[in-house]
Amino acid sequence: MVHILGIGLTPFGRHVERTIDHIGGQAVRAALADAGVSAREIEGAFVANALGAMLLGDTTIGQTILSGLGLRGLPVVNVENACTSGSTALWLAWNAIRAGQMDVALVLGVEKMCVPSLGLIDSGRTAIDTQLGLVTPASFALRARRHMHEFGTTHAQMAAVVEKSRRHALMNPDAMFRRAETVEQVMAGPSVADPLTRSECCPIADGAAALVLVSDALARRHGADIRIESVVLRSGDYGNPADLVRWKTDEETAARAYEMAGRGPESIDIIECHDAFSIAEILHCEALGLCAPGEGGRLAASGETALGGRIPVNVSGGLLSRGHPVAATGVAQIVEIATHLRGQAGDRQVTGARTGLAQCMGGDLAGDTKSCTVAILSR
Amino acid sequence: MTGAEALPPFAEDIFVSKGKGVQLLGSRCPQCGRAFFPRTGICPDDGTATEALRLDGEASLYSFTVVRTKPPFALPAPYPVGYVDLPKHDLRVFMLLDPDRIDALEIGMPMRLASGEMGVDLKGRRCIRPYFTPADTKG
Ligand SMILES: [Zn+2]
Repeated sequence: MVHILGIGLTPFGRHVERTIDHIGGQAVRAALADAGVSAREIEGAFVANALGAMLLGDTTIGQTILSGLGLRGLPVVNVENACTSGSTALWLAWNAIRAGQMDVALVLGVEKMCVPSLGLIDSGRTAIDTQLGLVTPASFALRARRHMHEFGTTHAQMAAVVEKSRRHALMNPDAMFRRAETVEQVMAGPSVADPLTRSECCPIADGAAALVLVSDALARRHGADIRIESVVLRSGDYGNPADLVRWKTDEETAARAYEMAGRGPESIDIIECHDAFSIAEILHCEALGLCAPGEGGRLAASGETALGGRIPVNVSGGLLSRGHPVAATGVAQIVEIATHLRGQAGDRQVTGARTGLAQCMGGDLAGDTKSCTVAILSR
Repeated sequence: MTGAEALPPFAEDIFVSKGKGVQLLGSRCPQCGRAFFPRTGICPDDGTATEALRLDGEASLYSFTVVRTKPPFALPAPYPVGYVDLPKHDLRVFMLLDPDRIDALEIGMPMRLASGEMGVDLKGRRCIRPYFTPADTKG
């Protein structure tokens, strides 16, 4: 078993004046301090960064950041896996400890996106779909329109996802958007790709999150109390015809994570999922088995996924309100769940939370995601 | 969106355009029968070399959206895109839709392929792109 000993997070937002080294370093120092271990005790590091090579012209950012913190002479792996970069780094560190390669591993997800050169995210400029106008908001708008057609989902139900997200973020000092927004306000905003309005698309951000993971032996010595029950990483199936409203890759990643953990959705207390768009949370809730297929819109509007409801989803504010520094997101989700499992989430604490699930996905190919992760934690 | 026959296609090996006869260029695996678009040289399922296939134009609209942000590649603002089902090939393909017929779009409606000058290519040159338009579009 692998355990979480330390967590660290920077506030997410526009930090134009701060360098990626500074942002990443802040999260690492926070996680080391929280774990009560020194830099010299870290035996391996997995550093996720998705956009640095493109936006900053920097590669092997992990070593650049960690060398300044005294982490030297150890295996450092740089990880790029689109929006699952951070959760893929978690998967690698978890496996390195399980394999007996190390007893103490550092996971860092760091992103610096608020730079002038960033346009709309797409699947790569040379991809044929990109040249035919496929931008990321459009690929989710196409799912939204089909979901409305097949299941009677309404735009107001999608906007309810955003309303809830903003309400949750009011209780999260590390979130980027901390202002309430009504369903009517969400729907009245400018359209990005019909029916999705601007508020239904997550904001880019700068930020970092870090974890210190330890083996059983070290967990006993340090008194770590959060267990990682499963982490599953899976690429897409890219089947054709792709069903845009029954996401097989999402469903199968979740099913495998539940199987490994030996539990199902009914025994999960808190969920962080990849709500890059309002419709995305609806699709993920269905894939995670929180409701029947097609019922995600009604679930969102019912209040069951809000704090105090049957199964709170994205109490942090999620990508929609906490902000989405791409490679930091997957690690920040784990930080959020660990905070709740420790009972330290303040006003937004999910009462008595003992189990949590984090879901991420990233990349777009042939109407499927390129990468999906699901992790299950417990205390 | 007619004329401009002298302009290059936005990319090679995606479609052919001869007057009104516009066709998407796909491929087909002789081993398992699976059809592909865009064209792939080797079937990913069994490694067999595929054969060229011009896709039948019979189509219906699976889903669509209208993109209203600043368009990439100087595409029209706004521009519609969608997934279109090609029943003869059991294929669902992503494609631009007719920017002049945005108000007519409905899931399930019959569509046909067209082409015309739209936006610029990777090198910034004016170019021809294929797009689906409702089957009842004139011209
Ligand atoms: Zn084949």
